Amino acid sequence: MINVSNLRKTFGTIEALKGISFNIPQGECYGLLGPNGAGKTTTISIMSTLIKPSEGEVNIAGYDLKKNPLKCKKEIGVVTQEIALYNELSAYDNLLFWGSLYNVPKRELITRIDEMIKLFGLSDRKNDKVKTYSGGMKRRINIASALLHKPKVLFMDEPTVGIDPQSRNLIFEVIEKLHKEGMTIVYTTHYMEEAERLCDRIGIIDNGEIIAQGTLDELRTSYSMKESLVISFTNLSDESYTAIAKDWGDLQRFSDTIHFYSMNIQGDLSKIILKCNEVGLDILHIDIKKINLETIFLSLTGKQLRNI
Amino acid sequence: MIKLVKKDLKLFLRNKQDMMISFLLPIIFITLFSFIFGNMGNSEENDIGGLVHVVAGTSVMMLLFSVAGIGGSLIDEKQEGMLKKLLCSPMPPKHILYGKIVFANIISIAQLSIMFIYAWLVFGLDIMHHLPSLILMIIVIAYACASFGVLLASFAKTRQQVQGFSTIIVLVMSALGGSMIPIFVMPELMQKIAVFTVNYWGIQGIYDIFMRLLPIANITFMSRVFVLIGIGTSLNFIALLMFKKNILKIV
Repeated sequence: MINVSNLRKTFGTIEALKGISFNIPQGECYGLLGPNGAGKTTTISIMSTLIKPSEGEVNIAGYDLKKNPLKCKKEIGVVTQEIALYNELSAYDNLLFWGSLYNVPKRELITRIDEMIKLFGLSDRKNDKVKTYSGGMKRRINIASALLHKPKVLFMDEPTVGIDPQSRNLIFEVIEKLHKEGMTIVYTTHYMEEAERLCDRIGIIDNGEIIAQGTLDELRTSYSMKESLVISFTNLSDESYTAIAKDWGDLQRFSDTIHFYSMNIQGDLSKIILKCNEVGLDILHIDIKKINLETIFLSLTGKQLRNI
Repeated sequence: MIKLVKKDLKLFLRNKQDMMISFLLPIIFITLFSFIFGNMGNSEENDIGGLVHVVAGTSVMMLLFSVAGIGGSLIDEKQEGMLKKLLCSPMPPKHILYGKIVFANIISIAQLSIMFIYAWLVFGLDIMHHLPSLILMIIVIAYACASFGVLLASFAKTRQQVQGFSTIIVLVMSALGGSMIPIFVMPELMQKIAVFTVNYWGIQGIYDIFMRLLPIANITFMSRVFVLIGIGTSLNFIALLMFKKNILKIV
């Protein structure tokens, strides 16, 4: 559904994209992760026809973006990071306006607006001015406005920034529903748990390059990342630590705590606990640190996504 | 494009502040200035002259302030992300600017019409005998002023810049162009500079109708009509070029 090939973009002397390539099949939810300035927004902006690439090809729903930008525009829906709504208009009027730009026949548009308002749980507030809405409600309408023309591809640029948990859950449910219905989604976020929950595949972008991509399992396997078991003891001594280290090479001691590293920590859990009992250690606390996107991202870029 | 104009009209009608600035404030100023300057003369002819000057000068000046606000809404749309979303839609980008120009023209025509109807109803300005000329002059003044507002928005980067620039430019143009003081009392040099302002051509056009009593086909009257059309078209052309350069720079 989306083919991006050797995409480059320069702004003056700054090379924002250094020849990135990726393919997204129909019905996939693809997460694009990267710190600020990595090239994530530039990629999304090129794909949503806002800016022209310096080099490279983008093909969306069978149309070349350079040759047929108008046809591409008809096939895509864009959820911007900003809440792009007219505050003085009601949710209904906002949707009527945004939907009309895609030349959806009026009767059909009205039906779809009703469906969207119901889907996003705002039926009782549809005629209220948007300025009276909470941040979460505005976000929901912002997303709804991108879906009225039934796009084949949906670009979502951090659609859940600054909203309440209730709205976030509702948005997740809607995205999952759209995904199940076969919509292709490109999702950028700073929240790792969102990408883990929603995305089939993830592309990690840094300094204008895609440095890794695949499913979470693929990323975990291809970068040989180890999970860790963190155990705190009440009576950890140098002797007992040496005795454990003799049997278990990949570990680290931090005061009264030992970090055990393994590719399959759950499988090794009983062995480790047994060994600790053998050397007479009393366990105070156990914590399993599984490999998640946060760990992979940190390991690949050396940066924590949310703190950037 | 019609959808954009309809949306802007809907927003305008729901915004009490915009309505007040566009319609109520000019009425207040016309009323105030008419009482102060409208009866300064001691003959009937002078009385009409004072009234015509107050109505024409104030209308054009207040219109320039209103259209600057309309142009500023384009900057708001850019800053709040609506422009980005509009550009992602299948609508040609130029239509965003055309929509704003059409909307500014509608509001400008409405504002000028209300000013003259008010002057007719309250101060007895005889608009009925000059209706075709007045309608034509209202349309071309509105066109020139609306273009000024859109041009201002296409140059500025923030709403604050629009407000700052518009206040200075409108006040200077109004002072030079005869909105505040009649041109004929100004020094010769100032009278020459005045021809570079929208106010001058608009006010002179209205003088032609009510004071010089020129018919619609008169060459002097029509020359002012064409100058105003020329100003509007030039400003729109520059605005379109600037729109591509400034406003469309989204990322």
